[in-house]
Amino acid sequence: MAAADSPSAALRRDLCSRGIRLAGKMRADVVDLLDAYVEQQGLDASASVAAVEGVPLAAVERWDEQTGTQRLLENLVAYRAFRALLAQMLEEQREQLGEADAGLGRALAAVLLQVSAFVYHLEELLRLESRGIPGEEGDGPPPPPRLSLFEQKLRGLGVLRELAQWAVRSVRDLRQLAKPSPATGAAPGLAESP
Amino acid sequence: DSHIQYERVGADVTMKCGSMDWDAAVTWTANGTDIDESHLNGSYLILKNVNLSQSGQYSCYEGSSWHLKYQTNLRVGMPPKEPVLMCRSNNYPKGFYCSWHLPTPTYIPNSFNISVIHGTKDMVCEKDAIPKNRCHIRYIQLFSTVKYKVTLTVTNALGKNFTTLTFDEFAIVKPDPPESVVAKPVPNNPRRLEVSWQNPSSWPDPESFPLKFFLRYRPLILDQWQHVELSDGTSHTITDAYAGKEYIIQVAAKDSDIGTWSDWSVAVHATPWTEEPKHLTTEAQITETTSASTSSFMAPPTTKICDKGAMVGSGAMAVCWTAGLVVAAYSVLFI
Repeated sequence: MAAADSPSAALRRDLCSRGIRLAGKMRADVVDLLDAYVEQQGLDASASVAAVEGVPLAAVERWDEQTGTQRLLENLVAYRAFRALLAQMLEEQREQLGEADAGLGRALAAVLLQVSAFVYHLEELLRLESRGIPGEEGDGPPPPPRLSLFEQKLRGLGVLRELAQWAVRSVRDLRQLAKPSPATGAAPGLAESP
Repeated sequence: DSHIQYERVGADVTMKCGSMDWDAAVTWTANGTDIDESHLNGSYLILKNVNLSQSGQYSCYEGSSWHLKYQTNLRVGMPPKEPVLMCRSNNYPKGFYCSWHLPTPTYIPNSFNISVIHGTKDMVCEKDAIPKNRCHIRYIQLFSTVKYKVTLTVTNALGKNFTTLTFDEFAIVKPDPPESVVAKPVPNNPRRLEVSWQNPSSWPDPESFPLKFFLRYRPLILDQWQHVELSDGTSHTITDAYAGKEYIIQVAAKDSDIGTWSDWSVAVHATPWTEEPKHLTTEAQITETTSASTSSFMAPPTTKICDKGAMVGSGAMAVCWTAGLVVAAYSVLFI
């Protein structure tokens, strides 16, 4: 450990620990939401869902070799996408079921709020590293064609499953970020240029 | 020519004596011992409903010349039952291993083939030298929602069987139990025990993938365990131990975020600190030296020379019988 922790290093560590707690809570809530979603939508929990277009996959090769900046940027892109996807799911939910599934709607809204908070948190971390925050690309890909009810439900399953995976990955990513680098006291990878 | 012949338990086996005619005069031996003619049909050897003990070397000799005409190694066994397969990651995030065994022996050689598919990708499971029935895979991707499908096929000369396991990356994560569990009493604290342990050495990166722990403890004399879950750290002080009672203590580990708990660690025993009773130590020492050397009935003044069970009489006149003897002895001396 460096003899004196720089203020920015201390702030980074603080942001990382808060982010870890946020991601941990988010994951727990997403897992609960997944159970409720599967039950109320009448789905089979073990159903394989093909990768849906627009849903960011948490799967990554050579995860341990990623730089800190890569981690933050990939997380940011993913959670921004989830923010849009969850908002869409919430709207579909309200259209489909109205009052009948208020509980599910509330749970979805709560997770959406946490995802938005996490996006903000990631932007803070990037700002700390004086990294430019990539602008959001308008509305992203063009809105997908209207799906059937069943297709909507399956896509929702895919979104939530992938989000649960991302939440675990984010915790690991932030732990890597929080590690002090031996020489400079800065987190590894963040000092390197991409 | 010698070769191996595999047959199922319970099968009827007919052995021909090579190219000899059916009506040729031959002698069959099993492991060097002549086989009774009742088992022969012409020159054919008939073994009905074979059992495991009939495995061995069977030889056929021409009657008169005693030339060896045929030899075979009969191995009686069974086709494989469905194998038992288990996959686990005790070294996450490096990879996982699968191990297998047969529920019942086949008594003949078996070969195993394992295939691992992740989505559409075939992965190679490298066989371990030791133990034999085990192979390991390195993770290429992490955090994938796509399941792994592992198929194990076992084949032998009498048949084949297989089993399939499907799981996702997180579900099979199960660390090895914590190591070097130590429990010590805490000086001057009769209700405390200090427990410490280490991360299992197979867990590659406890800093990035921290483990959480579960401690259980009970006094040996009770069946009910106390439990404590610890989200970090590799030590804990028990503060509610029963004074003077020996405890049994175990620890288990789990990744903080995913997977299942390890098996319990090796159990350790410890007893909380107790104060040494000082007065008993001194009296005991004196009693020992006195009784060894003296022949008089004089008892040392501080020693308790009778217990409650030996009291005679009651109230103020209660006298223990040992004391009575001493008084009587003195009386005799002074008469």
